[in-house]
Amino acid sequence: MSAGRSAQSYRWRAWVVLGLVVLMFLLLIGRVLSLQVLDMGRGAQFLQHQGDLRTVRTAELPAYRGLITDRRGEPLAISTPVISLWADPKELEIGAYLNELAGLLELTPGELEQRVERYAGRRFMYLRRHLVPAQAREVLALGVPGVRSQREYRRFYPAGEVAAQLVGMTNVDGRGVAGLELAYDEWLSGRPGQKRYLKDLRGDAVRDIGIVEEVQPGRNLQLAIDLRLQYLLHDELSRAVTVTGAEAGVIVTLDSQTGEILACVSHPDFNPNNRSAVTMSQTRNRALTDVFEPGSTMKPLTMVAALESGRYSPDTIIDTSPGRIRVGRKVLPDPRDYGEISLARVVQKSSQVGITKVSLDIGQEPVWDVFQRFGLGEPTATGFPGESSGLLPQRPRWRPIEQVTLAFGYGLTATPLQIARAYAVFANGGVLPDVTLLHRDAVAATGKRIIDTRTARQLREVLHGVTGEEGTARRARIAGYEVGGKTGTVHKVGAGGYLDDQYVALFAGIAPIDNPRVVTVVVLDRPKGDNYGGGAAAAPVFARVAGETLRLLGVAPQLDEQEDMLAASTSEEPVL
Amino acid sequence: MSVSLQPLLLLLAALLFVLASAFAIISSTHQSRSLYADLQDIEAERWYLEEEYSRLLLEQGTWASHHRIAQEAGASLGLEAPPHDRTRLVSP
Repeated sequence: MSAGRSAQSYRWRAWVVLGLVVLMFLLLIGRVLSLQVLDMGRGAQFLQHQGDLRTVRTAELPAYRGLITDRRGEPLAISTPVISLWADPKELEIGAYLNELAGLLELTPGELEQRVERYAGRRFMYLRRHLVPAQAREVLALGVPGVRSQREYRRFYPAGEVAAQLVGMTNVDGRGVAGLELAYDEWLSGRPGQKRYLKDLRGDAVRDIGIVEEVQPGRNLQLAIDLRLQYLLHDELSRAVTVTGAEAGVIVTLDSQTGEILACVSHPDFNPNNRSAVTMSQTRNRALTDVFEPGSTMKPLTMVAALESGRYSPDTIIDTSPGRIRVGRKVLPDPRDYGEISLARVVQKSSQVGITKVSLDIGQEPVWDVFQRFGLGEPTATGFPGESSGLLPQRPRWRPIEQVTLAFGYGLTATPLQIARAYAVFANGGVLPDVTLLHRDAVAATGKRIIDTRTARQLREVLHGVTGEEGTARRARIAGYEVGGKTGTVHKVGAGGYLDDQYVALFAGIAPIDNPRVVTVVVLDRPKGDNYGGGAAAAPVFARVAGETLRLLGVAPQLDEQEDMLAASTSEEPVL
Repeated sequence: MSVSLQPLLLLLAALLFVLASAFAIISSTHQSRSLYADLQDIEAERWYLEEEYSRLLLEQGTWASHHRIAQEAGASLGLEAPPHDRTRLVSP
C-alpha cells in the first residue's frame, strides 16, 4: 500500500517535469518562430536586416559615358576605363611595402606616409585616382592589406585645345561641367547600375549576389563640326592673333543651307587634358557667349530695309558730298568725299553719310524690323550653356542719332554666331536657318523665310562688290572662288564711352558667292598696330579660312580657261 | 489493406516530389552561380576590350591628327597643296 501510495503521490512529479519540458520546448519553438518566421518587434526582418547590414554591400557599376564625335565620326571626347585606388586606413598595413607602393603611386615615401597619417581613424581614403589600368594592377599585385580598387572612367579629349570650348569638359567624377559635356550631360552619361555582393569581415568581396540595376551606357553625340575645319580655323585664328596682336578672337563657320555649325573656335583657348592652369576667359566659347556691337556688318541689313521700302534699288544714287553729315550735335564723317554714288556702292564703301541719309529717309521702324527678322536680339537656341542672345534695344522714342547709329550697327549687340546666322539669310536666298551644333541627318533644313529671293540675290551682288576693286575688303578675295562679305570696324566701349584707340575688327563673308556653301564670321578683339580694321585685320583671315574650307568641302574652283585645259587633258594621260 | 495503401502512396509521392524539387533547387542554384561566373568573366572581358578600344581610339586620334598629317606631308614627304594656277579641274 505504501509503495502504491508513494507511486501515486510521486506520479505528479513526473507530470510536472514532463509539463515543464514541454513548456520549455514550446517556448523554444515560439522563440524560434518569432525570430525566424513571425514578424515581430525584433523578429525575423530585423535580424535579416542586421545580418545584411554586416555582410551585404551594394557596389555602383559605372556607366560608360558616350563618345562625342565630329560629323565624320572623329572622336572629340573619349571615356577610357581607369582604376582608382583607395584604402581603408584602419586595415592599411604599409610597413614593408612603403617604398615600393610610393614608387608605383608616383609619390615620395614621405608624402605617402603623411597622407596615410592624415586619414588615420577614417575608413576611406583615395590613394590615387584615375590610374592607367596596367599601373593600377601592378599596385594591386603587391597585395598590400587594405588597398582596394574601384573602376571608373576618365575623359580624354583627342582634339585638345582645338575644340576645347565647344566640347567642354567633365569633372573628376565624370559629370559634365562645361560646354556640350554639360549641355548633354544626361544624354551622354547614361545610368550607372548597381550590384549586390557579400563581403567578409575585412571587406573583401566574397560572392556576388546579383545585379540590382542594369548599367545603361551613355549614348554617343555627333556634332555638326568637321574636325578638319576646326583644326584649320584654330590654326588660322592663332596665326591671326599673333600677327595682329589681338587679345581675343573668334571664327565661326556655318553651313548656310542647313544651319549646322561646321567649325567654331575662340582664342584664348585651353588644353582640356591638362587643366592645371585653366582660367574662365579660356573656357568661354566666345562665338556663342560673347556679344559685340556688330558695326558696319549690319549695313547690308539696313540696305534690305531700304530695298523693301520700295523707294530704293541698288542703283539709286545717293549724294554723299561733302563726305560728312551732321545729325543732332554729332558729325559723322566718311574717310573721304565719295560724291554721288549708288546705294550698292554706299554699302561697298561702307559710307556713313550714305547710310545716314538712307536711315533718316526710311525711318527707324523698317530698319529695326529687319534687324529683328534677321534674328538679332533673339537666342540662337543651340542649347549651349551660357549662350547669349545679344540685345536689340527697343525704345518708345528714337532720337535721330540713335536711329542712325542703329542703322550702321552701333547701339545693339550680337554674338558672332548671330551675325553668321543673319548672313546665312543672304547666302541661302532669304531663309533664317535654325542653327545647330549637332549633326543633322536629313539635308532638309528648317528655318523661316524672312526676305524674298530677289532681295537676297541683290544683296549677294552687293556683298560680292565689297570684295571687288572698289570695295573695303579686297583682301578677302580667294584665288579660284568668288566670295562676298562685309567688313566692320567697331570702337570698343570703355569707361568714358567709345574708345578712340581700341577696336573690334569684324568680317562676315559668304563663299562661294554665286552658289553659297558656307558663311564665315571672323572677329578680332583689340588688334594692335595700323592694321586694326575689319578690311585689314579680319578680311585676310577670312580669305585664308574660306579658301581652305571650300577645298576641304570639295567645292570645285572656277579656273580661267579651264574648258580648254579640260578638253586637252581628256585625250592625254590623266594629270595627277 | 488496400484502404491504407493509398495515403501511404500519396505520402511517398509527396516525399519524392519534395526530394526532386530540392535537387532541382540545388541544380538551378548551381547553374545560376556558374552563369553568374560566366557573366563576370564576360564583363571583365568587356572591360578589357573597352580599355583596348578607347586606347586605340586615342592612338588613332593622335596619329591621324591634322597637325601631325600636315607636318608629315610637308616636312617628311615634301607635299604641298597645289596653288590655284597649278590646279586642273576634271569633271566626271
